[in-house]
This record gives sequence, C-alpha cells and structure tokens, in this order.
Amino acid sequence: MIRVNWKHLAIGLAILPFAAVFVAWIGFFNVGASTGHWKITEWFLHFAMRSAVRTYSLAVDAPETLPREGVQAAAGHYARGCAVCHGAPGERRSAAVREMLPQPPDLQEVLAGDKWNDAELFRIVKHGVRFTGMPAWPTQNRDDEVWAMVAFLRNLPGMDAGTYRDLAYGHDRRPDPTGFHDDFDAALADCARCHGEDGMGRGEAVPILSGQRVDYLFAALEAYAADTRASGVMQLAASETDPRLYRRLAEHYAEMPRTGTDRDDADAALAARGREIARRGIPERDVPACVTCHDRPDRNPVFPSLDGQKRYYLEEQLRLFAEDKRGGTPFRELMAKVAKGLEEADIEALAAYFSGRSDTRR
Amino acid sequence: MLTSSPFLAGCAGIQSALDPAGVEADAVAALFWVMVAGAAVIWLAVMGVLYYATRRDRVVHSETFAGRVILWAGAILPTLILTALLAYGLSMMPRLRPWDARAAEDAPLRIEVVGEQFWWRVTYHRDGMEPVVSANEIRMPVGERVTFTLRSADVIHAFWIPSLGGKMDMIPGRENTLTLEATKAGIYRGPCAEFCGSSHALMALAAVVMETGAFDEWLARQAEPSPGVGENEAGRAAFLANGCGACHAVAGTEANGTIGPDLSHLGSRVTLGAGIVENSKAGIGRFIAETDHVKPGVRMPAYRALPDEEIDAIAGWLKGLE
Ligand code: HEC
Ligand code: HEC
Ligand code: HEC
Ligand code: HEC
Ligand SMILES: [Cu+2]
Repeated sequence: MIRVNWKHLAIGLAILPFAAVFVAWIGFFNVGASTGHWKITEWFLHFAMRSAVRTYSLAVDAPETLPREGVQAAAGHYARGCAVCHGAPGERRSAAVREMLPQPPDLQEVLAGDKWNDAELFRIVKHGVRFTGMPAWPTQNRDDEVWAMVAFLRNLPGMDAGTYRDLAYGHDRRPDPTGFHDDFDAALADCARCHGEDGMGRGEAVPILSGQRVDYLFAALEAYAADTRASGVMQLAASETDPRLYRRLAEHYAEMPRTGTDRDDADAALAARGREIARRGIPERDVPACVTCHDRPDRNPVFPSLDGQKRYYLEEQLRLFAEDKRGGTPFRELMAKVAKGLEEADIEALAAYFSGRSDTRR
Repeated sequence: MLTSSPFLAGCAGIQSALDPAGVEADAVAALFWVMVAGAAVIWLAVMGVLYYATRRDRVVHSETFAGRVILWAGAILPTLILTALLAYGLSMMPRLRPWDARAAEDAPLRIEVVGEQFWWRVTYHRDGMEPVVSANEIRMPVGERVTFTLRSADVIHAFWIPSLGGKMDMIPGRENTLTLEATKAGIYRGPCAEFCGSSHALMALAAVVMETGAFDEWLARQAEPSPGVGENEAGRAAFLANGCGACHAVAGTEANGTIGPDLSHLGSRVTLGAGIVENSKAGIGRFIAETDHVKPGVRMPAYRALPDEEIDAIAGWLKGLE
C-alpha cells in the first residue's frame, strides 16, 4: 500500500511555483506563431472561448429586433476597424493578417451559419477576445453602437461588394479608410463616408454637422480624441485624424447649409409636448427650459444648435446624458445635470420637437 | 449656576438656544433651565440616599418602611414630577405651533420656506403686497409675530433657528406651520437640522431680525429689480449667454429660471450658497467655478470651463445686485 507522506507532498507543492518560473525563465516553451498550436491546445482554446462567450452572454439583454438606424455608421466603422483582419465583401483579408495565430476568421463565411446568437455576437464585439488579437469596442460606456454593429454583421454573409461599398464608403471613389490622416482632403473624404459630402449625415445615427456651430464641432472632436465623449465610432475616427486639422474640418462643416428638417406631422401631439418642455422645462423634476441654453444667438459658442438635428440621434444623446454616459466638451456637466430628470417619454417628445424645427435661430 | 457659567460662554452667539432673542426661544430656554434645576434637585436627592445607604454604621429598617420608601420615592414622586414637567412643556405647544392652518393664511406676515437639497426657497407674503421671492436668508421685523409655512421639495429637512425658537421638520407632501416673534434685532443662524444628503452640513440660513420700519423698506426694495441690473454690462451678458437663466431668476432681466435660488438681490445677502461661503465677489466666483467642490452633490453644474474673465464679470455683476 502506498502511504502518502504529507510532509513531502507539502514541500513538493511549495516548490512547484518556483519550478514553473524556472522552466519559463529557461525559455524552452516556444511562443512562436509559425508552427501553430498543437491540435489539442487549439481544440481546448476554442472550446474555452466558446464556453466563455456562451456563459457571459447570458447576462446580455438582447433586443427583440436589432436596431437598423446605426447600420450605416457600423459599416463605416467596420471598414476602418474590422475589415483589415476580417475582410469584407469584395475585400480580402491582408496576407499579413492571415499569419496571425489564431487567424482572424473571414466573417462573411463564419457568420453564414448560426454559430452565434445575437447576445453572443454582442459579447464578442463589445469585449473582444483575450490572447487572440480580437480587440474590445473602443468605449465600454454605451451599447447602442455595439448593437448596430451586430445588426450590420447579421447582414454581412449575403452582402455583395456594391452594397457594402455604398454602405461603408458612400461613393465610388474608395477613400482609404485605414491609417492616420494628416492631409485635409484625405481626412475630409474619410469623414464624408459617414457624414456625407453635404454634412447631413448618412443614416439616422450619424448627426448633421452642416450649419452646426464651429466651436462646438471643434470641442466635440477634441472630446472624442481625449476620451471624454463616448463613441467607439467617432473616437477611432478622431484619433486617426491629425488634431491640427480639427479646426479646419469644423469650419468646413459649420459653413455648409443645413437642408430640410426631419419634420413628421404624424407626431404633432408629441412635438407639441416637446415644445412645452423646451420652453418651460419640468421644474418639479429640476429640468430647466432647453431654449435658455440652446436658442439664444448670443449664447456661449460651445452650446450646440439642435434645430433640425436627426431625431434618432437626439433621442440617443439624451438617453446617454440621462444615464450620465455621454460625456462631451468641458461644458458637458451642464447638460448632464439638465438631463437627469428626463424620462423616456420626455426624451421622445423633445427629439420630435427639435428635429422638426427649422434652423432659423442658430 | 455661577460656577458653571464659564462653560456656558460658548453657548452665546448667533446660533444658541441658551442666548434667546425671541419669545419662543425664551420659553424654550426657560423650559431648559426648569428641567436642569429639576434634574439637579433629583440628582442631589438620589446622591443623598445613596450616601445614606452606604454609610458605615447602617441602621436596619423594617420591611414595611422599605416598601413605603420604594412606593413613594420610586413610583409616586417621579410620576408627579414628570407629569408636572410634561404639563408645563405641553402647555407651551399651542403658542409655538398653531394647529389652525387657516389662521396662518391670514397672518399679516407669512414667510414660506421650502427646503431643497441643499438650499432654502423663501417667499414673503406681506399684507397688501405681491409675494416676494428670495432664498437662503429670512428677514423679519422685531416684535412682530411671523408665521412660517414649511415645506420640502425632496427629502425631509428641518427648520431651526435656535436663537429664535424651536425646531420643526419640513416633510415632503406636508405643510407645517410655526410662528416666531423676535425680541432682539440681530443676525442669527439656522442650520438644517435633519440629515438630507451629502451636503446637509453645508445647508444653513441666515436670519436677520430688523427694526419694523427698516424691514418694510427692505421688503419694498426686494419687490423691485435691483438698480445693479443695469451696471456691469459684460457680466450680465455672460450670465445670460451661459444659461444661468435656465435655473436662476434675476428680476429686470429675461432670466426667469425657478430651479435654483432667485438671485435678484444676491449682493445684499449675508452669506452665499446657503450659509457656507463669504458673500464677496471672490466667493461668488469660487462658487460658480467650483460648485461641486464647495458643495458636494449640489444640483448646480460647476462652470469650471468658463475663462476667468467671464467668471469675474459674472461675479462682479451678481455682487452688484443689492
Ligand atoms: C487585429 C485583428 C482584429 C481586428 C481589428 C478585429 N478582429 Fe475580430 N477577431 C480577430 C481574431 C483573431 C478573432 C478570432 C478569435 C478566436 O478565434 O477566438 C476574431 C473573432 C471575431 C468574431 C468571432 C468570429 C468567430 O466565429 O470566431 C467576431 C464576430 C469578430 N471578431 C468581429 C469583429 C469586429 C466587429 C471587429 C471590428 C470592430 C473586429 N472583429 C476587429 C481579430 C480581429
Ligand atoms: C465611421 C463613421 C464616421 C466617420 C468616418 C466619421 N464620423 Fe463623425 N460621427 C459619426 C457618428 C456615428 C457620430 C455620433 C457619435 C455619438 O453618438 O457621439 C459622429 C459624431 C460626430 C461629431 C459630433 C456632432 C455632434 O453634434 O455632437 C463630429 C463633430 C464629427 N462626428 C465629426 C467628424 C469628422 C470631422 C470626421 C472626419 C475626421 C468624422 N466625424 C468621421 C460617424 C462617423
Ligand atoms: C444650462 C444650459 C443647458 C440647458 C438648460 C440645456 N442644455 Fe442641452 N446642452 C448644453 C451643452 C453645454 C451641451 C454640449 C454638451 C457637450 O457635448 O459638451 C448640450 C448638448 C445637448 C445635446 C447634444 C447635441 C449634439 O449635437 O450632440 C442635446 C440633444 C441637448 N443638449 C438637448 C437639450 C434639451 C432637450 C434640453 C432641455 C430639456 C437642454 N438640452 C437644455 C447645455 C444646456
Ligand atoms: C441646472 C441649474 C443651474 C444652472 C444652469 C446654474 N445654477 Fe446656480 N444654482 C443652482 C442651484 C440648484 C443652486 C443652489 C445650490 C445649493 O446651494 O445647494 C444654485 C446656486 C447658485 C448661487 C448661490 C445662490 C445663493 O443664494 O447663495 C449662485 C451665486 C449661482 N448659483 C450662480 C450661477 C451662475 C452665475 C450660473 C451660470 C454661470 C448658474 N448659477 C447656473 C442651479 C443652477
Ligand atoms: Cu439637511
């Protein structure tokens, strides 16, 4: 009969960590990617990754239907932030990337099946995958952008090159979406992929820049770059643009005309309630009148204009402010205090009102 | 009392129930001294009995005698004393807190005070005048009975000016009434006396008791825009441009916000920010730029991002609103 000698076992266990460090220090373990993983390691890593994604996605609250409003911006972001590794319709992954271990999969292929449900995709895109090179979403502060990306990924498998190009670039000229822009025209062409040549924004989630106040646009760009305003899409776009170009870009858009409004007469009653809040506030919930800060022509130049702005965008911003997740320029605290008392119904009414207002008192 | 007076020196001043300056405070102070005297007599008696019981050469008493002592000294006497003190205390209630709220409506001077996190909204209802709105300070004439209606906009606060009278809670959804009559002109202080959040300790009000004529003149001036409104053009412009008017009203300008304190006559208030900052141009500037440091959890956003010149201009203009 083997008798366990507890004393020897304890000594063995105590030595083990030192032995492990010693082996690692010698450097026999091969970290090279060239030879790939052993079959068993590869199987185990994938097994662990899938299990973790499945378990952690249980806490994710997936919407019934994926939001469509941000799909265009997600496509634009995909072209800059994902296509290098994962390829896109009509664009192959770069050869260099295919030597990564693990190799980033061609998403058009892997997403064709039902490998992941929406919550699992959300989990992967928001948090990334450790030890693989798959990055997390640039901000963990908001989920709407990530859901928009999931909605885009769902469309990816059947998408043809023309549709993709139109979504991600908006025009036939294909500006290079990757890399750092220190040239004004190249930067502007990149902005136009999402904001449009006319600055009116492509898709509901992309705000109208044309006719906005120049100091506000400038301060917003600085805020994205400084990580004080949360948007995975814009933080990437701003930090990949030379800060010395911000002022010129802001001036360029501020001078463009704001054409048409988002008026929807079906919601006249909603807009009327929005108008009431905009003019009188909701004093019992500490919400001041919006017009005191957003309407006066002589107001602080950093206070933005809201007239005719996209309805979906306004709603989303107000929700972010109300949850204290929006961030913004050095004046962001003002708006955060104001929005604390807003409820969902107020937010919808205010967005309906301001989006339908024509831009007269900028 | 003579021997303890050096220890009581700290109890004089602007916030002391032992240095009364009002009819109600007198009553409260008298009640206090009666209680102290009663407590002293009882304490001495107990000590005497204790001494008697622990003497070296003890006398043995009969069981009947001991039973009687317990009955009289332990039950009947305390009941009598406590009943008398309770009756005395309760007899003061009707004067301090009128039960008839309708009578309050008709009072010649009624001051409505609403507790908010972390400041006081004050409205004067004077016979024959439109209501006058102010904040963080109450003024009242000496020798006149003033009715206070006390409410809260959020959580429970308590209104207490120790030098003038007793304490009364401000309860959300309720209206409490208190009356006070000041007997000595002067400036007193009233801290919020019920924990109400992170800046509870930074919520106080100044109570200024004035001669009757001076009070009415003052109130008449409060009802009009301050002459300072027209001065310091740059300060006024910066005030309006930065959205201060969304939350604050200043009579004589288009600023008509009601979320924060009325600033129409800010310059002449005794203190700033509900009793916590010196009311000077520098103090105002600091309050605007570092609001959240001066007062954690405050409902006003800090205007840290404003350039110093603008802060200065605004502070100068506000200080001029007398
Ligand atoms: C630096 C390269 C890189 C970039 C950039 C990148 N990924 Fe990945 N991604 C990977 C790698 C590597 C994997 C494989 C992870 C694994 O096998 O566990 C992966 C996995 C995924 C998967 C799971 C696919 C599957 O079935 O295993 C999704 C979905 C995905 N990425 C989406 C995105 C999106 C959306 C973006 C852009 C926001 C993006 N990725 C950017 C490298 C990248
Ligand atoms: C991939 C799409 C995309 C690209 C490229 C892009 N933007 Fe944006 N932009 C957005 C989206 C989406 C938002 C809204 C972000 C948010 O919710 O905060 C936005 C917001 C902004 C805002 C804030 C507007 C406001 O009203 O607050 C400015 C300013 C801006 N973008 C400027 C630019 C400039 C300049 C460029 C080029 C350097 C650029 N953007 C490139 C998608 C894009
Ligand atoms: C005290 C001044 C003030 C008041 C009152 C105010 N705002 Fe704002 N608001 C601001 C400031 C400052 C910003 C810029 C925030 C930033 O990005 O730093 C802003 C930004 C916004 C934005 C984002 C605009 C964009 O392009 O991203 C929306 C939407 C908005 N406000 C709506 C409202 C509504 C609705 C009300 C009334 C309920 C209101 N505001 C009241 C100061 C104010
Ligand atoms: C979102 C609403 C809001 C805005 C905007 C705002 N304030 Fe205030 N302000 C308040 C509130 C609420 C208080 C009371 C704070 C406290 O003491 O708890 C206050 C207090 C003050 C006080 C102290 C008043 C007193 O009675 O002692 C001054 C001075 C002041 N604000 C000036 C300004 C100036 C100047 C601006 C613009 C630069 C401004 N406020 C903008 C809400 C606001
Ligand atoms: Cu309090």
